[in-house]
Amino acid sequence: MNMNKTLTKIFWLSVLLVAACATDALAGVRDSNLYWAPECVTVGGKRIDSLLNFIFYLTGAVFFLTQIVYIYYLVKYRKRPGSKAYYSHGNNKLELIWTAIPTAIFIGLVIYSNRLWSELHSEPPADAVKVDIVGYQFGWDMRYPGADGKLGKVDTKLYSTENKFAIVPDDASGSDDFSSTELVIPVGKPVHIYLHSRDVIHSFYVPEFRLYQAAVPGRTIAWVWFETTKTGNFQLACSQICGSGHYNMKAPIRVVTQEEFDKWQAGKIAAKAAETQSAAAPSDPVLVAQRNKGEQ
Amino acid sequence: MSTSVTTFVPESHADSHHEGHHQKQNFFFTYIWSVDHKMIGLQYLWTSFAFLLLGGLLAMGIRYQLAYPGVEVPLIGRLLPSTIATDGIILPGGYNMFFTMHATVMVFLVVMPLLIGGFGNYLIPLKIGAGDMAFPTLNAMSYWLYVVSGIIIVASFFVPGGAAAGGWTAYAPLSSTAAYNQTQLGQSLWCVGLFINGLSSIAGATNYITTIINMRAPGMTMFRLPLSVWALFITAWLLLLAVPVLSAAAAMLTTDLNFGTTFFAAQGGQPLLWQHLFWFFGHPEVYIMILPAMGLVSEILPVFARKPIFGYKAMVWAMVAIGFLGFIVWGHHMFVSGMNLTLAAAFSVSTMIIAVPSAIKTFNWMGTVWRGSIEFTTPMLFALAFVSMFVIGGLSGIFMASTPVDLFVHNSYFIVAHIHYVLFGGSLFGAFAAIYFWYPKMFGRMMNDTLGKIHFFATFIFFNLTFFPMHNLGLGGMMRRIADPTVYDHLRALQPINVFVSWAAFGMGLSTFIFLWNFIWSLRHGKPAGKNPWHSTTLEWTVPSPPGHGNFETTPTVYNGPYEYSVPGMDKDFLPQDEKAPEGARLEVH
Amino acid sequence: MSTAALAAHETPHAPPRTAIFGMTIFLASEAMLFAGLIGGYIVLRLSSPAWPPSPQYPKLPILLTGINTVFLITSSFTYHFAEAAVKKGKKGLFWLFVTVLLGATFLVIQGFEWSHLHHEGLWFNKGGVYGSSFFVLTGFHGAHVAIGVLMILIAFLRQLGGAYTAQNHTYLILAGMYWHFVDVVWVFLYSVLYLI
Ligand code: HEA
Ligand code: HEA
Ligand code: CUA
Ligand SMILES: [Cu+2]
Repeated sequence: MNMNKTLTKIFWLSVLLVAACATDALAGVRDSNLYWAPECVTVGGKRIDSLLNFIFYLTGAVFFLTQIVYIYYLVKYRKRPGSKAYYSHGNNKLELIWTAIPTAIFIGLVIYSNRLWSELHSEPPADAVKVDIVGYQFGWDMRYPGADGKLGKVDTKLYSTENKFAIVPDDASGSDDFSSTELVIPVGKPVHIYLHSRDVIHSFYVPEFRLYQAAVPGRTIAWVWFETTKTGNFQLACSQICGSGHYNMKAPIRVVTQEEFDKWQAGKIAAKAAETQSAAAPSDPVLVAQRNKGEQ
Repeated sequence: MSTSVTTFVPESHADSHHEGHHQKQNFFFTYIWSVDHKMIGLQYLWTSFAFLLLGGLLAMGIRYQLAYPGVEVPLIGRLLPSTIATDGIILPGGYNMFFTMHATVMVFLVVMPLLIGGFGNYLIPLKIGAGDMAFPTLNAMSYWLYVVSGIIIVASFFVPGGAAAGGWTAYAPLSSTAAYNQTQLGQSLWCVGLFINGLSSIAGATNYITTIINMRAPGMTMFRLPLSVWALFITAWLLLLAVPVLSAAAAMLTTDLNFGTTFFAAQGGQPLLWQHLFWFFGHPEVYIMILPAMGLVSEILPVFARKPIFGYKAMVWAMVAIGFLGFIVWGHHMFVSGMNLTLAAAFSVSTMIIAVPSAIKTFNWMGTVWRGSIEFTTPMLFALAFVSMFVIGGLSGIFMASTPVDLFVHNSYFIVAHIHYVLFGGSLFGAFAAIYFWYPKMFGRMMNDTLGKIHFFATFIFFNLTFFPMHNLGLGGMMRRIADPTVYDHLRALQPINVFVSWAAFGMGLSTFIFLWNFIWSLRHGKPAGKNPWHSTTLEWTVPSPPGHGNFETTPTVYNGPYEYSVPGMDKDFLPQDEKAPEGARLEVH
Repeated sequence: MSTAALAAHETPHAPPRTAIFGMTIFLASEAMLFAGLIGGYIVLRLSSPAWPPSPQYPKLPILLTGINTVFLITSSFTYHFAEAAVKKGKKGLFWLFVTVLLGATFLVIQGFEWSHLHHEGLWFNKGGVYGSSFFVLTGFHGAHVAIGVLMILIAFLRQLGGAYTAQNHTYLILAGMYWHFVDVVWVFLYSVLYLI
């Protein structure tokens, strides 16, 4: 078989690999970074991006170094008339080197990673905007604290069609909480979210926030908080298979200025107060929850 | 080095009613209930091919839906069961069945049976100089359990409600609650299928370990074993210890679904317990799928580089390390599952550490081709590509092993890219290399090299065009397991990539037919191979192709390690394991 | 010696040493099966605020099962006596029979316990993970005991015709290994399910 032919093929293959990446130019819309990821709009997300970039360059270097050497060997040591392989069973010193260097790199990387990990999961600031986010098959409900600034306590056993948020009946701070089907948050302010699920595991995923966290039924996930850097409209996606409607389990996110947020919040609080006053008792979560309990 | 070797001493058979069988060699005992390890290996091979077509067809369905959501599937659309499609248009629930069953079929009915069942059975006794496996009947049973599990899993498509649709990872409580998944029967059959598949794996693993420990030919010390046998040996240990945990979990899931137990329920039980049990099995499982491929590739590289494998012992210890560490990294699938955050950090450490042995292996493969005399045959091309593809897949693993980055990429197409680089680019490329390499031994004829090369280049190119852009899709925010990406604003812009990827996938699917054609055509028309067409050193090449019943005329005695190529001072450029080194050969003692 | 000669028998029996080795390997796998079940149970139990989760559920009968445990452990000894007898060239039929009897008694008492607890309001789907884990774990173990009893019963029936001799009784050894294993698992199960 003609060796030159084979080599030409190998050359074209490498070219093709690069071309494979270039096909992504089809997307053409994302030029803010190397990978056409959507623009990052959280403080923590930017830290993640820099770690991502670091790993990208690290693994990129490893990839090209190993592949260049590899392909060079394949070309140089191809079978030629009269060529004879060098008889060797290995070299312990080399083994040691290529064990030690990756080990050192990995240890360094894992230290860097886990530091950032614990930073991202540090205690949420006390003044953070609090939102309770509840997933269900197949949609999202959000709950914001009312005028008292406190979210009513949750007991995950209490989820029902009347008590959508499973608020503990004797917790008064829950009675003025208002609900929303979109996630509205003020830009530049820490937001602390509580994740719940009413049925199966769902997940809170917003690529622009660089944030994924599962919502596990029967539990409260309380460690997620973030701070946005830019106003805009995004989409909250469920990214954990949760049934036939999983692909479409989304909710709008609006990151707005503080003023806009205040206005929206005040409107919601007022609407909630009016609703409670008009004495449509069954829709009062406290009463409903108590009634539910009585039934059980 | 001690040579603790036991040959197979037959028990004197008082009852002679066995005698009749091998005389008649009737169809049933030769092809159906055969206890010959070679026939069982071939049975595994053929059956896994059939499932490869099914798994591949499901993949084509996945790719069609992602490129053209809501558009009628041409030709076969209207034949699909009503649980999957209406009017030929794939339903979201049907799509979920597609990828769930695609992965289940590929993992449990293709890669494992092909690499472990097929090559394990065929090669282990031949390579260690034994007449058969330690427990031939158990071996046949193992194959038939696999067939039964396959039938059950495939049948689940046609039951009311359709097949399991919660992903191959079957996270509870979706999978464990009929009201949530609406596929109670399908999901139960999935569990039963995997349970039976597990019995098959455990039976096989018991057999392999026993055979390798007890039935090596005289002189075949552990450190003279070919690396493929080492790889299968370690794989068997992983199967033996990891699979029963999946069986236990599947049993609990079945009772949750059908008898009202609450192991994985939100109230009373623990949804995350399923994930811990599944991944305790699941991570060793991914090494179960790559180790045999690594072993087979480590056999092929030396043959066509005409060089001993670089760092034999380092290769062995790296696999042993992967085996042990494989049991303590499962949490890297659960960084963002709601698991304790400090525990997540700890799993990140162990995951990075387990990449080290893989690095060692990669460098040793490079060391093997260094200063070789490399011949680019079809098996060699696949083996060489295996190394590169595994490096890409492994490096993307490093992204995900970093906890903060996983916060971004978890459950995105970045993961899907990783999966296929290691499983297709790794395991299946390894399998293709092995098929081209051992085909002459199995069938006595060579596969056509030109067709082989066309198959290789087509697969290689289409494979990369299919799966490389998935990294970008993932970083672009595309979730995995979604039936219709266009419902999201930020994904509509990426839709052209999805279409591109799908067409590349169709190309890859078609290129498989070149392979099948070559495989079948060469059975009759291939060049006769002779005993040792590749001038290879290991024992299977010392017997006729295909080897007769019982393998060896006389039990071979082993004098050398498995990779004595280009030994200075010899005329031949290879020294078979059962030949004493000639006068003047300067063997390196290591 | 020719390996072909070996394969001449369609199903050559592995020599005793190999068979025993294989059984050991297989039991390691069985141990992982129970490790998975018991591990899951321990996790569930540790994360449960009270055990039993509610006082309305019956407690497990420690004494009755304790006696049953003694039966099962005794059966390990009686099996050993049977093996010892065969090794000495005797038939060991009596001890095999006693072993079958003890094993069967264990199953009957377990069955009685199941139905008793069922009447008291504990079942697979009643009593939360308390009921779930009790019935699934003892069910899995019970199935293993049943298989064991069957294996020993087969040994007994074959030995009626004198199938095993002092030199040749591999099947007895293998069945014994399995039987002892099942007993040891029971000691663990009894401890974690009933005692603590
Ligand atoms: C054959 C199968 C296989 C193999 C071998 C691997 C190997 C690895 N995998 Fe992968 N993995 C899967 C199959 C496999 N994986 C599957 C199927 C899933 C998805 C399951 C699902 O959810 O459906 C998955 C998911 C998965 C996750 C979970 C991601 C998530 O869900 O968010 C993670 C996270 O850590 C991970 C990491 C790794 C790592 C670190 C390795 C390492 O072992 C890789 C080591 C190799 C290298 C690193 C390359 C060679 C080394 C060098 C060239 C040396 C130098 C390198 C450096 C210094 C950087 N894998
Ligand atoms: C060994 C394992 C293996 C293999 C070989 C493959 C092979 C392929 N896989 Fe698979 N895949 C997985 C394991 C594997 N996959 C796993 C574990 C998952 C995760 C599932 C989950 O989320 O639960 C997954 C998920 C997965 C997804 C993500 C689905 C989703 O998340 O929504 C996609 C999407 O493109 C995909 C595509 C493909 C393609 C195109 C191939 C191709 O390589 C297939 C090529 C086909 C053949 C080799 C067969 C021959 C071809 C035919 C018979 C068809 C011919 C017909 C035409 C051309 C029309 N796979
Ligand atoms: Cu909810 Cu996916
Ligand atoms: Cu893993």
